[in-house]
Amino acid sequence: MLPIVKISNLDKYFGRLHVLKNISLEVPEREVVCLIGRSGSGKSTLLRCINFLEEPSHGSIEVDGVKVPEDAKGAERRKLIHDVRLRTGMVFQEFNLFPHMSVLENVIEGPVIVKGMDRKQAIELAEKNLNHVDMLWKKDEYPMRLSGGQKQRVAIARALTMEPRVMLFDEPTSALDPELIGEVMNVMKKIAFEGMTMIVVTHEMGFARDVADRVIVMADGGLIEDSKPEDLFNNPKDPRTKALIDRYRAEEQ
Amino acid sequence: MNMFSKAQDAPKSQAELIYEAQARKERKFRANVGLSWFILLFILVFTFSGQSFTIGSITFGGIKIDTEFIANNLAFIAGGLGETIKISLMSIVLAMILALLAALGRLSTFPPIYALSTFYVSLIRGTPLILQIFFFYLALPQLGILLSPLFSGVLALGLNYGAYMSEIFRAGLSSVGKGQREAAIALGMTPTQTMRRIILPQALRFAIPPVGNEFIAMTKDSALVSVTGFAHELMWRSVKVGRAQFHTLEALIMAAMFYWGMTLILSYFQNVVENRLAKGDR
Repeated sequence: MLPIVKISNLDKYFGRLHVLKNISLEVPEREVVCLIGRSGSGKSTLLRCINFLEEPSHGSIEVDGVKVPEDAKGAERRKLIHDVRLRTGMVFQEFNLFPHMSVLENVIEGPVIVKGMDRKQAIELAEKNLNHVDMLWKKDEYPMRLSGGQKQRVAIARALTMEPRVMLFDEPTSALDPELIGEVMNVMKKIAFEGMTMIVVTHEMGFARDVADRVIVMADGGLIEDSKPEDLFNNPKDPRTKALIDRYRAEEQ
Repeated sequence: MNMFSKAQDAPKSQAELIYEAQARKERKFRANVGLSWFILLFILVFTFSGQSFTIGSITFGGIKIDTEFIANNLAFIAGGLGETIKISLMSIVLAMILALLAALGRLSTFPPIYALSTFYVSLIRGTPLILQIFFFYLALPQLGILLSPLFSGVLALGLNYGAYMSEIFRAGLSSVGKGQREAAIALGMTPTQTMRRIILPQALRFAIPPVGNEFIAMTKDSALVSVTGFAHELMWRSVKVGRAQFHTLEALIMAAMFYWGMTLILSYFQNVVENRLAKGDR
């Protein structure tokens, strides 16, 4: 089966800092991949390279058949990147809802402005997705009046309404109060079970263990482990992975 | 103390008592400020009343102003209000457009645009406003550009305020977090769409209160346009009748009252808008 996301020989430098080192990764359709690792391991940067929020220094990215080769330049490159972004949805740690728009306006903004969708049709789709994350009842509120968990659920609906082929989550629960993490996790589980391809950067080991098909551990800009969650949790190969798992177990006690 | 008759009322909590004490203090402060304003105003009026009083051997006397002159010329000077407002409104609109363009220019990665923006701001901020007003009035006709004196004044004021206000818009633009831009481009928006739909609306909201301040300042600086002698606004009218009838002081006092009244009214609306925005109905 064709992979939805294919990363080939990706390198990323921030100045002289080599943050991603020759990374290659394929994610097939309907798979849920969790990227874990300590902060600074490069996992967020890798995720952000997929939709070109960060420009890779070397290497190519392919999403749903749209390949952005390393040597694509200028207008051609911009066009390809735009096509990649249309195929990816992103959810941020800080939600990044548009504060000057109501919940519904936030969600229809993408389809109407970017895809040129008819407003009525966009509202219909937005309401369906808001209902899906259980936020339809707040559709006329402004983000300021929502809790963190509610904001994040709206952000998920906003990304889903663009009908992406893959959803990218960048530490979606890290900015939340502990009691609000559950509601966001539940929404993510729901869309995972419905078959959405997902790449999730997270510190929530519980989510990785219960929901992921595959867990990738990153350290020092490289992928040090890539396995099924049960293998990873019961039988970590790399000592750095073992340290991560041990710390998670200790916290869970 | 009738402690017993009020026994059924719940005793006030500590927090309530503190809150009430604070509110009392604040009310008292406001009342005293109001009273002091009144006294200051009284002194001001007395100074121009022509009355005098004596304490011991020292006599305090006010300036005598000719109330008849004021009564006769009030209508003529007031007739300049409309012109003053017209000049200010046109200039602020021009200034806002220029300020926004200059602020956007500062964000440009295209050298000529960046240079144009910084050149404009530097040149205008580096020279006096009154010089600019004369300059446009004198220079434009030589370039074959024939604007009415009023418009050349508006052009000078607008250009001048635009240069200063570009900083306001720049601050507004940078007040929008980078997460907003990222969210927009992750949705697939182009840079233009991101600017127009996401960044600008938030930046403009940020800029509303300071732009209000600039507008208030501009209503007064519009008086400078009178130096060309063709914009018949408040200042020009007061100087004209004052000189003609040797009552310049009275004429200026009248103009001052009109300017002050205008800024009081504008400041009031400015406050209303600011409170609205602060309350966060966004």
